[in-house]
Amino acid sequence: MSTASFELDVPSAYDDHQSASREAQRKADRWMLPGAILMTTAVLGPIGFPLFLKGMAEQRKALLQGLAVRPMICTLLGYLVIMDSGLNSIGWSLDLIAHHSLISRTLVTAWGNMFDSGYFWHYNELWIGGATAPGEKGWEIALVPTVFCMRLAAAIGFLQMKRWGHQWLIVTCWFGVIYWVGYVANMTVFADLRYAHVVFPVWGWWLYDIFYITPFLAIPYLHTVNREIFSD
Amino acid sequence: MNTKTSIDHDRRRRRALLVFQILIYGYLFGAWALQLYMYAHRDW
Repeated sequence: MSTASFELDVPSAYDDHQSASREAQRKADRWMLPGAILMTTAVLGPIGFPLFLKGMAEQRKALLQGLAVRPMICTLLGYLVIMDSGLNSIGWSLDLIAHHSLISRTLVTAWGNMFDSGYFWHYNELWIGGATAPGEKGWEIALVPTVFCMRLAAAIGFLQMKRWGHQWLIVTCWFGVIYWVGYVANMTVFADLRYAHVVFPVWGWWLYDIFYITPFLAIPYLHTVNREIFSD
Repeated sequence: MNTKTSIDHDRRRRRALLVFQILIYGYLFGAWALQLYMYAHRDW
């Protein structure tokens, strides 16, 4: 091989690898993103889950082929945060502004009957409608337009391996610590109302809600990861 | 920043994260235990 042809071949191999990596990442995300969005609706979760798994398999295949795709831990954290913010936004928005819709009156009150009486007791009897648990409407109004919107945007930036995505994910994860501490305090202080006469008191709510704990899982990783893997 | 300072900084950061995790999971466990105690003693 002559020097001239060597100089021509190297950039080409690099570009090919970059292009194959980008295409593989896009292919995996084309499965994972719709899967995650469907799962955020709760009702369509069973359809979204296999789509998401298919995307994960594509991502793993690309990693095994040595392509330069996103690390698996970033993929899992990013999509978990999308689902955390999406599920909370949709559920609480339904309760706040669509509490008389059929889906709210069946899904939300059924959930309340099983785990949290705050979503069953006197449902739709306040002037604002929806859940009547003390303080619940304050959480919905404070968190959906601020924390969960920010968190969704941050997760998208994080999945694109952007520096701002990493930084904003740290910010919103600390917000997450605040709302977990406050919400759990609320559940404990008003336990007599929220757990009375439900099908699965205490442990049912914890089993269901512990999957929203993504901020606590993400904080140690976000503060110790090599920040150079994120770009401007 | 020299290597020694950087290692110290990293060690302090990891220790702070460990303390944070003990506190936050401890708080959650405490709240859960209190709710279970109430569940055992009240007519829910």
